[in-house]
Amino acid sequence: MSTSKKIGFAITGLLMLAGLVAWGIQVKEGLVLTNMRNSYTWGLYVAGLAFFVGNAAGGLVLSSMIYLFGVTSLKPFAKIGALCAFANVTAAMLAILPDIGQPIRLYNLVLHPQWRSPLVWDIIVLNLYAALSLLYLYLLMLPDFQGPLKKIALKVDHPKEFSEKWAKRLAPYSLAAAVGIHVITAWIFATQGARDWWNSAVLAPDFVAAALASGTAIVLLVCLLTYGLKDEYTQAYRTMAIFIAVALFTHIFFMYNDFFIHYWYGATEALDVLSITFKKYALAHAFEVVAPLAGVILLLSSNVRKSAGAMMTSCFLIIAGIFVHRFLLMPGAFDRVPLTIAPLGMQNTEFSVPIASGQYEPLMNTFVTEWHYFPSGIEIAIFLGVLAYVGFLIILAIDRLPIVKIEKAQT
Amino acid sequence: MRRGMVIDLEKCIGCRSCVVACKQHNAQPAGNWWNRVVTPGSERHLTPPEKGKEYFLPIHCQHCNNAPCEKVCPVNATYTEEDGTVLVDFERCIGCRYCMAACPYGVRQFNWEDPKKATARYGYQDGYTYGHPQEFRLKGRLVYMPSRFKGVVEKCNFCVHYADKGLDPACVRGCPGNARHVGDLDDPDSRVSKMIRDKNGFTLLPEKGTKPNVYYLPPKRKEV
Ligand code: SF4
Ligand code: SF4
Repeated sequence: MSTSKKIGFAITGLLMLAGLVAWGIQVKEGLVLTNMRNSYTWGLYVAGLAFFVGNAAGGLVLSSMIYLFGVTSLKPFAKIGALCAFANVTAAMLAILPDIGQPIRLYNLVLHPQWRSPLVWDIIVLNLYAALSLLYLYLLMLPDFQGPLKKIALKVDHPKEFSEKWAKRLAPYSLAAAVGIHVITAWIFATQGARDWWNSAVLAPDFVAAALASGTAIVLLVCLLTYGLKDEYTQAYRTMAIFIAVALFTHIFFMYNDFFIHYWYGATEALDVLSITFKKYALAHAFEVVAPLAGVILLLSSNVRKSAGAMMTSCFLIIAGIFVHRFLLMPGAFDRVPLTIAPLGMQNTEFSVPIASGQYEPLMNTFVTEWHYFPSGIEIAIFLGVLAYVGFLIILAIDRLPIVKIEKAQT
Repeated sequence: MRRGMVIDLEKCIGCRSCVVACKQHNAQPAGNWWNRVVTPGSERHLTPPEKGKEYFLPIHCQHCNNAPCEKVCPVNATYTEEDGTVLVDFERCIGCRYCMAACPYGVRQFNWEDPKKATARYGYQDGYTYGHPQEFRLKGRLVYMPSRFKGVVEKCNFCVHYADKGLDPACVRGCPGNARHVGDLDDPDSRVSKMIRDKNGFTLLPEKGTKPNVYYLPPKRKEV
């Protein structure tokens, strides 16, 4: 094992441990350790769900590009794609777990599922997607299992053909599942009439677009880390860069299209919601737009694509920008109390009805109309733990499984 | 039978007795309030926002007919009874707080920590506690309990534990202005249906399409 892998294991391992301890403390003391309260009920954990679900897109999109649309230059990266998909979709489920107030009761989801709840649909598609990406990874590795791994290999006469055939057969389903996880995760938010910030028909398509950008950027990042720059991959990297760019431009178009329509009509509620993102979170909003844009513009330049470091930085900018985008799902929805009324007999007045904060503190207001949310240390520790899990799993799989092996033998 | 409530804003004096009665009868832990009364347009309660303009607005769960909180609940912990009352089963709730995001009225409360610990922060003399002492199950489902679990959601339960004994909710009985009335909204001849018809009853946030079972009667003039 190389030293860089050892360092990777050590860092991600420690972060995972810290996250686990933080979760343990939170289970014991309750969600009071987070900075969420009655008026701000979702925060970093749910933003984390959206972020990781989005990141899971890349993998199976890659496989479908190869096996449905015949982009064969991407073939060497199909396994990394499936691995990233599996790591991120399981991370999405881990990210949402600490948000549950009574995790012990999760069996109720199996015993008493309520079929109208988008959350139930989401849990089903996320699990399906995880299973599908694992199956995909297995199929793609089938011809390369060696040594002790032979034991887990399916006994078929021509593993190579078998793998190829089934990868092709599964491709349409994986594309459907990949779109499905984003659409349904977006519906968790978009169906909520109570929150004007979410309640938009563009949210689901936008979710898909943002996911295709960040998901593919993650695959590209891992490919660069494992394979580095080589002539034979130039074409593949270029294809990925263009794909990311198109996805990101679409995402920004969808987002601003929605803003523009609300801004033009100028309803007070809509303007209030927009002002949260554009005034209160102006810097964060600037980052979510500028960073990924800069990232794709860099990636599109063939000069930048001559340096692995510059490409990785670009990928990082894209992923970080989309992360901030996912985080900004929350302020627009919760900074403003949804129950605002026009008091009877008064002109041009809007009144936000305060909500009980949910916590008694001698010096704090009992009822609040505003809640300033920034994740607490516990929330950040848990989130970093989940992020580390993604890294840990990817390094572990690459170390133990025939994911980049063959190419290594060639060099 | 669709159990509904009419709140006559003309008769509400803003005393918040219903808030207190609700909090005490239903053993709400520190920090959680199922019911609140505000002075619309004003930063401060009981302060006119404009000279000569003042009315009070009590708000709690509206027991919506098209309740988003019920539709989002992944485990059917929030559910609607036959009479239209929206309830939370404390034993079923997994604490995902999806319902809190879904409710446009901000009436849902979460037990962020062990309620006993939360209430201990009040520092009441000799560990004083309050609330209806017995848990109550409706068709087997735990819809009232004096001490809640940590990590579950709670909200107005239309005092089902009292309705079972033929009693009106605590807020209705505790209102010194007699502003609150409970009855059958399905029956056009019921007192509440007549009040809504005769006095231009309205609901909150009709544009959200939640179809509340709580109606308000508009105030005519400033209460002094
Ligand atoms: S007011 Fe809120 S909690 Fe009550 S039924 Fe309606 S949506 Fe649900
Ligand atoms: S917090 Fe409880 S009642 Fe609310 S949606 Fe989740 S499980 Fe249902």
